[in-house]
Amino acid sequence: MINTDRLASHFRRAIATFIDLILTPLVGLLVMLVTGLLESAEAYSSLSTIAFRALTIGVIAYVVLNGWLLHTRGQTVGKALMGLVIVDTISGEKAPLWKLLLLRMWFFPLLLLLGIMPYGIIPIIDQAMIFTPSRRCLHDRLCGTSVINKAPGK
Amino acid sequence: MIYRHYNISKALSATICLFALIFTASTHAKATCENTVTQPGTQRKYSEAWGITFKGERHQASSNTSINADNAKLLKLQWAYGLSTQTPRSYPLVTEDTIFIGDGGYGLVALDKETGCTRWENTEIKDIESAIVAEEVDGNTVLIFAGRRSGVYAVDAKTGRQLWLNNSKVHPVPMYSGSPLAYQDKVFVPISSMEIALSFNPFYGCCTTSGGIVALDIRTGEQLWYTPTIEKSGSIVTGKHFWFVEKRGPSGAPVWSAPTLDEKRNLLYFGSGENYSKPATSTSDAIFAIDSETGKVVWVQQYTANDIYNLACDLSENHPNCPSHSGPDLDFGAPPVLSTLKSGNDIIIAGQKSGSVFGIDPDSGETIWSTGFGRGGKLGGVHWGIAVDPELEQAYIPISDIPTGQSDVPAAPGLYAISSADGSTQWSATLEKNCEEHSCWPGFSAAIISGPNIVVAGTIDGHLKIYRGTDGKLLWSHNTVVDLETVNHAPAKGGTFDAHGPMLAGNQLIVSSGYSSFGQWGGNTLLVFSVEEAAEK
Repeated sequence: MINTDRLASHFRRAIATFIDLILTPLVGLLVMLVTGLLESAEAYSSLSTIAFRALTIGVIAYVVLNGWLLHTRGQTVGKALMGLVIVDTISGEKAPLWKLLLLRMWFFPLLLLLGIMPYGIIPIIDQAMIFTPSRRCLHDRLCGTSVINKAPGK
Repeated sequence: MIYRHYNISKALSATICLFALIFTASTHAKATCENTVTQPGTQRKYSEAWGITFKGERHQASSNTSINADNAKLLKLQWAYGLSTQTPRSYPLVTEDTIFIGDGGYGLVALDKETGCTRWENTEIKDIESAIVAEEVDGNTVLIFAGRRSGVYAVDAKTGRQLWLNNSKVHPVPMYSGSPLAYQDKVFVPISSMEIALSFNPFYGCCTTSGGIVALDIRTGEQLWYTPTIEKSGSIVTGKHFWFVEKRGPSGAPVWSAPTLDEKRNLLYFGSGENYSKPATSTSDAIFAIDSETGKVVWVQQYTANDIYNLACDLSENHPNCPSHSGPDLDFGAPPVLSTLKSGNDIIIAGQKSGSVFGIDPDSGETIWSTGFGRGGKLGGVHWGIAVDPELEQAYIPISDIPTGQSDVPAAPGLYAISSADGSTQWSATLEKNCEEHSCWPGFSAAIISGPNIVVAGTIDGHLKIYRGTDGKLLWSHNTVVDLETVNHAPAKGGTFDAHGPMLAGNQLIVSSGYSSFGQWGGNTLLVFSVEEAAEK
């Protein structure tokens, strides 16, 4: 289990999240332009179509932006800049790639997307759970991961 | 330390729950009918279509209204109902005892005509912005109307139960802004497009869709035919911006308003709007005549060529989706009216947002006469609808002239009466600005209605006025921008008159007050006035 002393502080996590929330849409913009997923009338034919296409853009952007860092170091760009690492809650080791990508990659796009939809309460709940003793957001719990300070020298 | 975390967590949870409750709580109030028969009567209907008659005249004969030039000054507010939107945009169907109307954001309601209590409601359909029309189908009265984005509905008038919904899209982003027309076994639905607004997004490749008319089977809602205003819309790539985003065309020529039916010729007439993107077509800002059985185009008469415009141009002329040399956006937002002259000849009278009015031969589409008032603009000129009194052989032309850009031509907001036969001006009632705020404007944007020697019109600054038909004398004026007590106990205040305008039915004058789509004054009142001494006809 993880030593609670190593859990990332609320402040560092907030800044890391803020950085990722800025960078992911910027990369998403490029993805949107290249793929043309939100360029035509068909994309706006229903709310679910818009949401699905926006989510797809967000996932691609997240993977393009963070995929290599997650694979090699268990970090997103924001977490790397703030000296944080995502680890498996049970083992305390770098979380396996499938968890980091297949599970976590949905959350940032979803958070951004849900924030502008009627279910905006969900990202608020997700982020509010950082204030629990384990400092694990809802998405951390679903993925079985924790965010800790990067060990010195690593 | 842990305790402190849990306290914060609990406080956050409580806050979240409170927000959730606030967001989900309904604020709508209603007064349910008690001690009366709740099922609406449907024997007597005071209108056939948005235009009162299938010909679209927006004229109530004396057989349908007892309000006239002699008693109009006696009109008093009978009751008011608080709607759930600040931009009410549904036109009522009135029967012997019931007013059916869309309460935007809440649902379809059937209100008792005399008291305003609710006979039934259907809260499943929330985006009703059209007129409610009705047709008899296999012995039952079926209400037909459109939800702005959700589609076309048929509802049982007795119970409010939905019978069918047609949302099989003729293109990906239709907007059902105009009112359907139900006639015998068909429903004719005008089709516009969300692309005019999607063009706002610079990453959107404007535009590929066309306006049009679709015919549905009144029993099932199945599509019978579709006539677009532009063949092969979106088939040409006209350029790129941001390296990847493809601009396409032709597009647009939306149909914003109800079609008009010519039962004698089996034709539907309707007006179209501007093109959204290049290249321009010969079918924008035009009047169409199509076969009501097949949808085949019989004739098209264009009145403004090369009018290419979308909402991106309102952000900046340099917006990537705004065409170079964008047009003035001079739609035919008001339906063309078919009227029979005293000579026995038929004529179509059509008013355009330019402020121009045209008399058109219904057989050939040729222009017989033309006239014009004011400077026109994106919100009129003639915006929502004119009225034609066949007895006086007069057309009443409401002019908005609300400022929407630079113009060297002076504004002339007001009401103009012209001869239906030759377009000559009979009288005018111009309006003066009597308040300072930018959003305050005296013009007539909403559709109007005429009755026996009267014209009823609501101003953008919230005054409902009645003029005498023969000479334009102002008979009655009522300021609706006031707080009101309502029968359903909902807080309510009037505002701008826009969109569908007033209805005359029996001894009542029914109108929604408030409209805030383009910075006008919002409001949420449904007002029912009546003349007490007049017997219900």
